[in-house]
Amino acid sequence: MKKTSINKISDLAAELLGKGTLVAPVKEDAGFNFREISNAGQVDLNFYNTLMSPKSAFFPQTEDFVRYDKNKSVLDAQCVDLNLKPVFLFGVRPCDAKSFQIMDIHFSGTGVVDPYWKKRREATTVFGYAFDINTPADGADFYSTLNIGAADPEGSDVFMMKRGDELLLKAVTPKGETLLASLTSLADASADEQKYFDDTVAAGRDFKTRFTCVDDKVIAKKLEDLFHKTEFWEKISDACLSCGACTFVCPTCYCFDICDETLFSKGVRRRVWDACMFTDFTLEASGHNPRTKVYQRLRQKICHKYSFHVRKYGVISCVGCGRCTRNCPVNIDIFSIVDEALKA
Amino acid sequence: MSINFKQIEEKLKSEATKLLEEGKVGVVLAYGKGYDENHPLPFVARKASDVENIVFNEYCTANMARYIVRYPRGTKIAIAVKAADSRAVIQLIQEDKVKREDLVILGIPAYGMKNAKTGEVVDSKTTCGMYNPVIYDTLLGEEVHGQSVVSPYDVLAEYEAMDKEARWAFWKKELDKCIRCYACRKACPMCYCDPCFIDQNKPKWGEKSPESHGNLMYHLTRFHHLAGRCIDCGECSRACPVDIPLYLFHKKVAKDCEEMFGQAAGMSIEDKPALVNFRVEDSDKILE
Amino acid sequence: MDFEPKILGIACNWCTYTGADLAGTTRLQYPQNLRVVRVMCSSRINPSFIFRAFQLGADGVLVGGCHPGDCHYNTGNLYARRRLAVTRKILEFAGIEPGRFRVEWISASEGNKFAEVVTEFTEQVRNLGPQTKFKIEQLPTPEKI
Repeated sequence: MKKTSINKISDLAAELLGKGTLVAPVKEDAGFNFREISNAGQVDLNFYNTLMSPKSAFFPQTEDFVRYDKNKSVLDAQCVDLNLKPVFLFGVRPCDAKSFQIMDIHFSGTGVVDPYWKKRREATTVFGYAFDINTPADGADFYSTLNIGAADPEGSDVFMMKRGDELLLKAVTPKGETLLASLTSLADASADEQKYFDDTVAAGRDFKTRFTCVDDKVIAKKLEDLFHKTEFWEKISDACLSCGACTFVCPTCYCFDICDETLFSKGVRRRVWDACMFTDFTLEASGHNPRTKVYQRLRQKICHKYSFHVRKYGVISCVGCGRCTRNCPVNIDIFSIVDEALKA
Repeated sequence: MSINFKQIEEKLKSEATKLLEEGKVGVVLAYGKGYDENHPLPFVARKASDVENIVFNEYCTANMARYIVRYPRGTKIAIAVKAADSRAVIQLIQEDKVKREDLVILGIPAYGMKNAKTGEVVDSKTTCGMYNPVIYDTLLGEEVHGQSVVSPYDVLAEYEAMDKEARWAFWKKELDKCIRCYACRKACPMCYCDPCFIDQNKPKWGEKSPESHGNLMYHLTRFHHLAGRCIDCGECSRACPVDIPLYLFHKKVAKDCEEMFGQAAGMSIEDKPALVNFRVEDSDKILE
Repeated sequence: MDFEPKILGIACNWCTYTGADLAGTTRLQYPQNLRVVRVMCSSRINPSFIFRAFQLGADGVLVGGCHPGDCHYNTGNLYARRRLAVTRKILEFAGIEPGRFRVEWISASEGNKFAEVVTEFTEQVRNLGPQTKFKIEQLPTPEKI
């Protein structure tokens, strides 16, 4: 286990920059966001959580697959290769680190491997960063409801936490171990600090956000039973505008669309985020659209995350980061809907 | 004098109960409890027993006129409106999206409304700067008088004075932030097209990926589509997760339309929207 | 090499396009920078055409229609006048030089006016230089993270 002083964080950042690409939260107009760092001084750990989720480090909003020229043969089209330097994803909150494991199921866990996701995932070392358990959680968060602790190292390669002016770093995976050993700007931590680290991880599990814990299976079953109760879904979707803000900020939403974008003759086939809340998401080529109503789309979103996903993969596809709630234009809270469903 | 939100809430509840019990309306569009006090939800009451969930406080900024077009034509709707929202209702009536006789408009005179995300007071900077609803059947509360009248267009001066290069740099920076979640068009009471031009792919008007050119096409065309129709409620900017000041461009276009065509959007149900109307004596000067 | 502006002309079938024809048949000289697209009426012009033209590399856009009151469809150009006035304001507020966009009423008998307008507008756009603000440089742009 290692440590460094908070005001010397730029030394650590500079060392990581020397080894590869550093992606860390940067303060922007609307809040913090993960961005590629060019100057070590930019790294700032005084954030609660980022506006957009860190999924874009592995699953960017646009990813180019093939470049082509319409005036040439199909055979001349080129696949876009990823040549990545090692990437250090710095300051990921425990709930977001957990989201990477859920996303792994879709991009590499079911037999079909997404090469872009896999390459990015392999090149990246995740630096988890514990929530401060001495200050109350943001009103929108509900990660403890989904059994994620405020200081869970799970999902990270290296896990960091603050202790006064010190930043403690502990390797979680062999990848993290090798990296930590090679960093010279860090000092060794004492046994006392080791104990503090373990205590905080344990205390983080008892840290409470909104709502009480409910069994995954119970939620999944209840939502399945409710699926055909149109009245219930119509009522909860009264306020929903059916925009994509919640899905785009979500760390576990992975739907995408593949589109060709051409300028004159040259173009690119790319993957772009899509959202189940958009009307044209389910529009079929025949013109038929199975989900034309807002309630059908909202039902899909909630049942997918909390019911179908549990049935298929055994875990809820939500980590309780609260981003959807914070960014909803009309203040819809996804877990309040689940809560209501449980009472219905 | 300050606004008595509690009193408005009580009046809203009693009006809603009366309308629903007498069967005069099928739905009441108002505000309901959210996950906490500062985050009320748009709420639809269908039965008199739903009414107890209605709330009204300074965070109820949502424009309920957005939901009118969701109900089939002929549905009797009661709607709670603040000043800007009432203009949206008028605009929808002008565009024949809803009939005046199908609406019961519950006007709410209010100021000092706050943005639920930031807690900032939503004033003439981001909205139309009016306090009293333009149209209503019942006014819940007393008309606001004596509040200073501020022009909603004052905030534009800084940007109008900018050099065009600086203005382009400003808009490029702002529009590049866009993540294309389309919260702006969904929150907008006047954006009811299905499909929206940007979702069409024959012809394809703009790229779907969130890059400069696609974003520029989407936003500029949207500003154009709202010319002479935008009622300046500021919902688009509040809905935006990345805080693009869309209201600035909408205000500018609204101001220009008012100057050129002598009519502000949503002020009278007798008007026609400025861009689907003309006067023979319009001057060619507007093109110079 | 000197800068040769690319100008998109959108002309109404009944007046300006016929006016352009007249300019041709009377052998009036005007710059070749203009590429004309014929539409049935100036009110058929979707403002997005103009934004898109600038994105695809036009340095200027010239719209031609019948004189107000002379529209083949009676009122089309009266709607167009209002609409294009707004387009102009939007371009201006976004930071495009207003001199790059122009609306002219040119009737079928005004071949000489057509030639004059095109000459004048081409010079104006030439002086403004290449339009780089809206232009899409290349499509496969570097990734965002």
